[in-house]
Amino acid sequence: MQFDIAFALSTVPSILSAIGMTLLVAAVSCVGASAVGFGLELIRRSGGPGGLFVRFLIDFIRATPVLVWLYCLYFILPFYGIRLGALATGMIGLSLYYSGYLAEVFKAGIDAIPKGQAEAARALGLGRMDMTVFVIAPQMLRNIAAPMGNYFVSILKATPYLAVLAVPEMLGRAFDIASDTYRYAEPLTVAGLIFLGLALLISLAIKRLEIRLLGPTAR
Amino acid sequence: MSILEIWLGILQGFRVTALVTLYGLVFAIPFGLVFGVAQYMTTGPARFVVTSVIEFWRSSAVIILLFVFYYALPLAGLALSAMTVSAMVLGLNIGGYASQAVRAGLQALDRGQKEAGQALGLSRSTILLRIELPQALVAMSPTFINQLIQLVKATSLVSLVTLSDMTFRAKEISQIEYDPVPIYSSLLLAYFIVCYPVALFGRWVERRINPVREARCAV
Amino acid sequence: MIRTDSTLAVQITSLNKWYGAFHVLKEVNLTIPSGSRVVICGPSGSGKSTLIRCLNGLEAYQQGTVTLGTVRLGDNARETALARRQTGMVFQNFNLFPHLTVLSNCTLALRRVLGMPRAEAESLARHFLEKVRIPEQADKYPAQLSGGQQQRVAIARALCMNPRLMLFDEPTSALDPEMVKEVLDVMTGLAQEGMTMICVTHEMGFAREVADQIVFMDQGSIVEQASPMTFFSTPTHPRAQSFLHTLLH
Ligand SMILES: Nc1ncnc2c1ncn2[C@@H]1O[C@H](COP(=O)(O)OP(=O)(O)OP(=O)(O)O)[C@@H](O)[C@H]1O
Ligand SMILES: [Mg+2]
Repeated sequence: MQFDIAFALSTVPSILSAIGMTLLVAAVSCVGASAVGFGLELIRRSGGPGGLFVRFLIDFIRATPVLVWLYCLYFILPFYGIRLGALATGMIGLSLYYSGYLAEVFKAGIDAIPKGQAEAARALGLGRMDMTVFVIAPQMLRNIAAPMGNYFVSILKATPYLAVLAVPEMLGRAFDIASDTYRYAEPLTVAGLIFLGLALLISLAIKRLEIRLLGPTAR
Repeated sequence: MSILEIWLGILQGFRVTALVTLYGLVFAIPFGLVFGVAQYMTTGPARFVVTSVIEFWRSSAVIILLFVFYYALPLAGLALSAMTVSAMVLGLNIGGYASQAVRAGLQALDRGQKEAGQALGLSRSTILLRIELPQALVAMSPTFINQLIQLVKATSLVSLVTLSDMTFRAKEISQIEYDPVPIYSSLLLAYFIVCYPVALFGRWVERRINPVREARCAV
Repeated sequence: MIRTDSTLAVQITSLNKWYGAFHVLKEVNLTIPSGSRVVICGPSGSGKSTLIRCLNGLEAYQQGTVTLGTVRLGDNARETALARRQTGMVFQNFNLFPHLTVLSNCTLALRRVLGMPRAEAESLARHFLEKVRIPEQADKYPAQLSGGQQQRVAIARALCMNPRLMLFDEPTSALDPEMVKEVLDVMTGLAQEGMTMICVTHEMGFAREVADQIVFMDQGSIVEQASPMTFFSTPTHPRAQSFLHTLLH
């Protein structure tokens, strides 16, 4: 057998038609991971037993593979009668998994703000709320924009893991074609190239957005 | 099935997990070093070529990359074992990330280091090998340790191309007996036991490298 | 701007502070009348920063009282906040907000704390930027300014809140020598207008010219307090003598 370029090209439309699913999974997971990650970081900062637990949870997540987490949720939840379907399970899995990484991003973003910033705000008489909103948060956003963008791209590149749970995103579609035609190399190569293009495009877009949002003084 | 049997079963896959990691490093370390240095030293079209190779390995979704090479290489007349393909794909993917750390480490060095070397009449290669690289590699060592953890976790993917690593064993066991809770939580724990000590070691190294971190966080 | 009332600006009585077991401030007593200029000096680690940070509530203390005007710090949160609002602070490393323009650095507290409308806040801010001689930098970001310019913005930012008392913690020690003078000039100008100032500094020329009291601290205590004349010509405490000796030679 040889690599059949004409056949490869013929699979493009079908695989591309699943791009919506890929982007949906990625977008939901990015939002979910950011929200959960921010929550985790707030709990971790507050200290106490909750903080200690979250600290361990984040370490645990970061020392275990995302694929295994997806299996865990997919097989264990129904065992307890929680039936969410593959798509929801997959998005929850990616959100939870990457929340561990985003929590670290938030931590670094806050830790990098010099102590003097809070002191200057207090010396000017700003209240806690005003200080958080006008002094700390904008600087945190500036610090986290780049690493957060990188993790969004990582999440995008993790969406094909959901093919393992039979979610019909692009890799899943490629496998459908493969098992129908008994030709694996072509559809998989096409899916790989589309993903590569998408990842490069989106990281470029995120970089543009960063420059746009943060302006020339972005560090 | 008792918890002991589950653990013994998972443990049987440890050899493959360890082997893929080890062979992966055989690809990752040279690639990261050579391409990181090459990206640092080259300009113009040469740099573009180097960057393209790095981006191909780094920006592709590793799960698809693995399938593509697993199914497409035989068509190109290259019949490599699943182990070799896996080690190569996972290794070069991590190597792509490592190359960025190498380059960043070199770029972050004080220009004065290179200039002092030049002032002493050292050749460019001596400056690189004896002055720049040692400092850059030490400074980036926590990043490399992190990437090693990423590699170990990524080896769970080889279960998808028929290699019987820990994840593969766990899936096998769960097919024999439907008892997902202990099986998959044991699997998570198994990876944690492997990766967490590495993570702790990374933190220790990090503290050794940046010993005096002022407490400067604002909130 | 100029206050000529002769009431007390600051009264510190029996102030004691510990960091864990470490006694940083030991029985500090200090009375500062309105309109006076106090320079605090002393060896590194003697507690100078800690002392002036206690004056605007940046540091908590365990014993003693600090009275600003007629308000005792800590008695009542509302009044403390009010008293603090009347205190301006200038830090060694400026602590300008890097994400805000020079003008916004100055207007943030005016608008958020005093609720001043934007236009009014901006014109007030421009007034003070002019006073520190950098009106043309209003729309730049802190990172685009030199150290001396940044410190002058920090002074303008503090002045915007119309403080009765200005605290300076080594305002020139992070600056290159050629920029020290431009900041000291601004501070001298403020002193001449009658601003009450407490200033930790090792700029002895400034101290001699501007201060009416010099406070020398060592190991958490005030060991010498005198007019500049007396302090520089006949220091009594041996630590002050050796300190002056190393500083002047
Ligand atoms: N947060 C803290 N915890 C423990 N000890 C502290 C803390 N902050 C300051 N200290 C100690 O308190 C002492 C006084 O510190 P302070 O900063 O007031 O000294 P200083 O006179 O301003 O010195 P410098 O001239 O170096 O600025 C020092 O010995 C310092 O190590
Ligand atoms: Mg100090």
